[in-house]
Amino acid sequence: MPRSQVVDPIEVRKSDVIKIKDIPVNQYKPDIKKELKKYGKEGLKNIYYDMLMVREFEMMLNSIKTEGSYNGLTYNHKGPAHLSAGQESASVGQSYHLTADDFIFGSHRSHGEILSKSFSAVRQMDDKDLTGIMENFFGGDCLRVVEKGYKNGDTKDLAENFVLYGALAEIFARATGFNKGLGGSMHTFFSPFGSMPNNAIVGGSADISMGAALYKRVNRKPGIVIGNIGDASLGCGPVWEALSMGSMDQYSTLWDKSLGGNPPWMLNIFNNFYGMGGQTSGETMGYGLAARVGAGVNPDNMHTERVDGFNPLAVADAMERKKKLLLEGKGPVFMETITYRLSGHSPSDASSYRSKEEIDSFRENDSLEGYGRYLLENGVISESEQAELKSRVVDKITNTMSLAINDEVSPHVSASFIESVMFSNGNEPKLDDREPEVLTPKEENPQVKSNKRKNRFAFDENGKPYPAARTFTLRDGLFEAMIHRFYEDPTMIAYGEENRDWGGAFAVYRGLTEALPYHRLFNSPISEAAIVGSAVGYAMSGGRAVAELMYCDFMGRAGDEIFNQMPKWQSMSGGVLKMPLVLRVSVGNKYGAQHSQDWTALTAHIPGLKVMFPTTPYDAKGMLNLALRGTDPVIFFESQKLYGIGEQFEKEGVPEGYYEIPEGEPAIRREGKDITFLTIGSTLYTAMEAAEKLKADHGLEAEVIDMRFMNPLNYEKIIESVKKTGKILLASDASERGSFLHTAASHISRQAFDYLDAPPVVVGAMNWITPPAEMEDYFFPSADWLIDAVHEQILPLPGYAAKSNQTNGEVLRRNKEGV
Amino acid sequence: MAEKVLMPKQGNSVESCIIVSWLKKEGDAVAVGDILCEVETDKATIEVESGFEGTLLKIFYEEDADVPVHELIALIGQPGEDISGYAAGGEGHTSDGSAPAAPEERIASAPVVSQPAVQTPAAQPSEAVEGKRAGSPRAMNLAAAKGIDIRTVAGTGPDGRVIERDILTLTKDYPSLSPAAIEELLKSGKPLPVKGSGIGGRVLLTDVQNRDAALRPSAATVPGAMAAFPGPVEDIKVRGIRKITAERMFDSLATTAQLTLNSSADATAILSLRKKFKNSDESLGLQKITINDMILFAVAKTLPKYPELNEHFLGDTIRRFEKVHLGCAVNTEKGLLVPVIKDAGAYSLKGISEKGKELFGAAHDGKSNPDDLQGGTFTVTNLGSMGIESFTPVLNKPEVGILGVCSVNLKPVDRDGEVKFVPYMGLSLTIDHQAVDGAPGAAFLQELVKAIENIDLLTAV
Repeated sequence: MPRSQVVDPIEVRKSDVIKIKDIPVNQYKPDIKKELKKYGKEGLKNIYYDMLMVREFEMMLNSIKTEGSYNGLTYNHKGPAHLSAGQESASVGQSYHLTADDFIFGSHRSHGEILSKSFSAVRQMDDKDLTGIMENFFGGDCLRVVEKGYKNGDTKDLAENFVLYGALAEIFARATGFNKGLGGSMHTFFSPFGSMPNNAIVGGSADISMGAALYKRVNRKPGIVIGNIGDASLGCGPVWEALSMGSMDQYSTLWDKSLGGNPPWMLNIFNNFYGMGGQTSGETMGYGLAARVGAGVNPDNMHTERVDGFNPLAVADAMERKKKLLLEGKGPVFMETITYRLSGHSPSDASSYRSKEEIDSFRENDSLEGYGRYLLENGVISESEQAELKSRVVDKITNTMSLAINDEVSPHVSASFIESVMFSNGNEPKLDDREPEVLTPKEENPQVKSNKRKNRFAFDENGKPYPAARTFTLRDGLFEAMIHRFYEDPTMIAYGEENRDWGGAFAVYRGLTEALPYHRLFNSPISEAAIVGSAVGYAMSGGRAVAELMYCDFMGRAGDEIFNQMPKWQSMSGGVLKMPLVLRVSVGNKYGAQHSQDWTALTAHIPGLKVMFPTTPYDAKGMLNLALRGTDPVIFFESQKLYGIGEQFEKEGVPEGYYEIPEGEPAIRREGKDITFLTIGSTLYTAMEAAEKLKADHGLEAEVIDMRFMNPLNYEKIIESVKKTGKILLASDASERGSFLHTAASHISRQAFDYLDAPPVVVGAMNWITPPAEMEDYFFPSADWLIDAVHEQILPLPGYAAKSNQTNGEVLRRNKEGV
Repeated sequence: MAEKVLMPKQGNSVESCIIVSWLKKEGDAVAVGDILCEVETDKATIEVESGFEGTLLKIFYEEDADVPVHELIALIGQPGEDISGYAAGGEGHTSDGSAPAAPEERIASAPVVSQPAVQTPAAQPSEAVEGKRAGSPRAMNLAAAKGIDIRTVAGTGPDGRVIERDILTLTKDYPSLSPAAIEELLKSGKPLPVKGSGIGGRVLLTDVQNRDAALRPSAATVPGAMAAFPGPVEDIKVRGIRKITAERMFDSLATTAQLTLNSSADATAILSLRKKFKNSDESLGLQKITINDMILFAVAKTLPKYPELNEHFLGDTIRRFEKVHLGCAVNTEKGLLVPVIKDAGAYSLKGISEKGKELFGAAHDGKSNPDDLQGGTFTVTNLGSMGIESFTPVLNKPEVGILGVCSVNLKPVDRDGEVKFVPYMGLSLTIDHQAVDGAPGAAFLQELVKAIENIDLLTAV
């Protein structure tokens, strides 16, 4: 809500029509003279050679998957192989004008893109750079196999073999592959040549590639970014979200002009007309031509057009034009590149959804044969040259396969290696050495000044709480961590809904608008998937991102990004990528069923995420400091019940300087010997109240532990406490069924079984909708519920009458009823 | 329906009792309060009274049987009643579903809970034997470490589960354990040592760890050819008073710093007074006052001036008593017993004599009330009648002093330049040097010597 831009009622009510500019369709006109001039014979032949290589690579895999052998070599490949035979012209044509600085992201069907992009980069790079890249990649592990295993020619030939071997070894899950064998066919990539992660989730690369383009723009890096996705992915919500966020007006209206304009992002649809078996144009979608979609996004139609992807030169031509636009900051670009896969979706595909006649007719239009014929007819290449190239390609592919299936040359990684790349566990205060772009010195920031006047402990010397306006709160702690890192790490950006001007829906960022230029703090569209997905792309490209979801409940809108993208890329890349991404997630209340849920368990369940939930101002600052200097994806939960709370535990108050909370360590908030309370989130304060009551009414000393971290989590302190007390009650505001507390309870039972005087008992919120604010008492655990559960399940309290039903019978009944 | 007579439990540590004699036999009519049998614990003999009126229908255990507490020992009912459903011990308990008496008693004394338990505590041993989960892991470990069969414990946890507090309530008088010892006990599941080597008998980690070694049978075996060598031997089971005495004496010597001081007192006055009493008018009731009575009297009167001798040493605390509760070792057929004259300082000489006769008589007869065998703050032991001239009495822990009374012997004494033979009574005082130093011990002994030498004056105080 920039106040500088006024919405004018007269203007918006004016009568008018929208005129959509023409969308070019297959407008390329072959002209061999111009083409020879532009590419030279060598260039045109290289395109042919690369297409041959991609075709043979894919046909080799097809042969292995369907017949178990290729050229006399037998192999059983257990994993997937989504082949792009028939689509070579599209990928090779796209890569021709791209340099190593240009990124392409792809899909499950991207072998051809990886090879094409890498071959193109190899041709353009000088030998010294190539050698450096290959020698430094995984300490030269891959290079050594290639040096020994091929009759290598010059450096470029070596690099070509390196690409072939690295890709195939990766597809066969070998430690010498591009991603240590952990990415495999659908995920592998080679970033030094600009081939960025390929995504097995349909449309998954849309928002991620858009985030990578943001990275380039914000950090003034050269090159463009292309997200290559299939036609069927236009049915995916996150793709549309990426289109929205990638074409925001603010890039041109509000962002610093010196950055170079709109993010250099192209979303390219490789339209092969089918999503698995669903025929997109004619059956499952309604756009007619996919290129039409660009017209719905912005007044430029996103410069959309349909390109005849059967002709590599038509694709190369379009790419040359679009790249120029993007580098001028006039993007984003939408493009439809039509193509056709001759093989099935996967080896199990019997092509029952398309007729033999259709396949035959496309075979007659086979891009490889067509382009070969074109070169032949125009005297660019001779038949013998073609045969020679084909034979060379077969030799290379055969040799590549023999190396990649050799268990001695190409072993698999150990299980412990997989564990070692789940997190990068970095401590990198800044990801670039340049001066951070800020608007004012930190000391002049109004919020920094305001915080200086606040009491950093909640109570005065008489134990009386300070007035709210004079108290340093949890939200202030978050602010201090944010502004600290913003002034330290030039790559750090933050965005989400209402982050700028408003200062975040809960005022955590109040004061940051004054401190930061637009490109470091901005408002996103209401596009949770794109918010998280773009942050994934930004982080994997080398920047630090802080994305925000206003309510935990909105995580559902970003499910794939949170569950499949954020957590997986560090390990799927074999440790090549880092993911310095903190996703702040606010847990609500009072706003009913869709705004009051604690979903910590969902995120803690997903391998590869760090999950934190601070409950005090001291921890809010110290834990966010920890998260923001790391290189791992963190889901950082905050409770709306606690934003305004002062520091009640650290008597010295919240330090003004920088500090971190040790990762994974729960905090003992109150010591006791009779029973342990373990809480997640704001329920800490409920448990503190219950502890007071237990002491006053029953003479029992409860130990209260705040879990703080769900992953990683060091249970030792908790186990020690349970060994002491023999009793533990776990409580949080998350609905009881499937709560993370059950995971904790299970570990505690296992680790401290012999010390337990009662089973660990979990008290959560009811397994209902969160009712309206007026009825929340029915739903969230209260201090009485905790004591009732102690009385019923752990330690019957003399003379006590329970106020709620915490009996085993009731728990059984609720489960039986499913509520 | 027949009423059950169970073997009573006398104190927390008693696990079984020996039936000494049945005073009623099967078929006898019994009234409430009639003595059914006498049973013997390791400390005393107890009379089992009938709680019911009717006919003694069945006696399950013969005399001399060693019966675990809470076991069914007899049935009382109407003649001809069908008692086929009952059997000795626990076999018959399920027939009427009633729980044994003792757990119920403990339920009554356990914390009252408002409403959590749906069922009453499950205390039926037959169910427990079948594997019903009796207690929390923590309670079971603690019970095992304390040597308690958890199935006999009534639970106050949810649904009657036996929880830690139930075991703690039961074992609050057990020897204290160091945290490391508790950890080791819980971890290893080893049984609790009877006593520890720490201060005040505190069980230390080493006690738990070494217990195995101590219990391990000697590796030495008797070769067959040598078997005839020792001749006839009798193995006597160490139990009852012998067992208790063995444990206590060993514990005393192992865990206290015993120092014995020897002295002697001119016995002229005490012998003379004894003679006077013996010859006194019977109506005065003084004829039976013995030398021992007078020594007890002298100790009771002297000890208050030396409070450091009238103490219990409890490791980290010393409990000092204002009143003198005087134990006196009595040799009985079954072994050594130490009846205690409570508040001995309050008695006259005659009174102390009469009280002593009553307690010592009961001890000799094996009928001491268990209450009279505990609570002493100082002990007197007398071997004088057997000609012992001096010895080292063993402390009765946690007391810190024990006086040994020795024989009277003539001693040459220089009286105004003339050597006279004067009767002297030997006195051997053992003190626990942990609590009392030599000098106060000697001072007490010196004062006691004076009191004995002037016993006639003391009686007038």
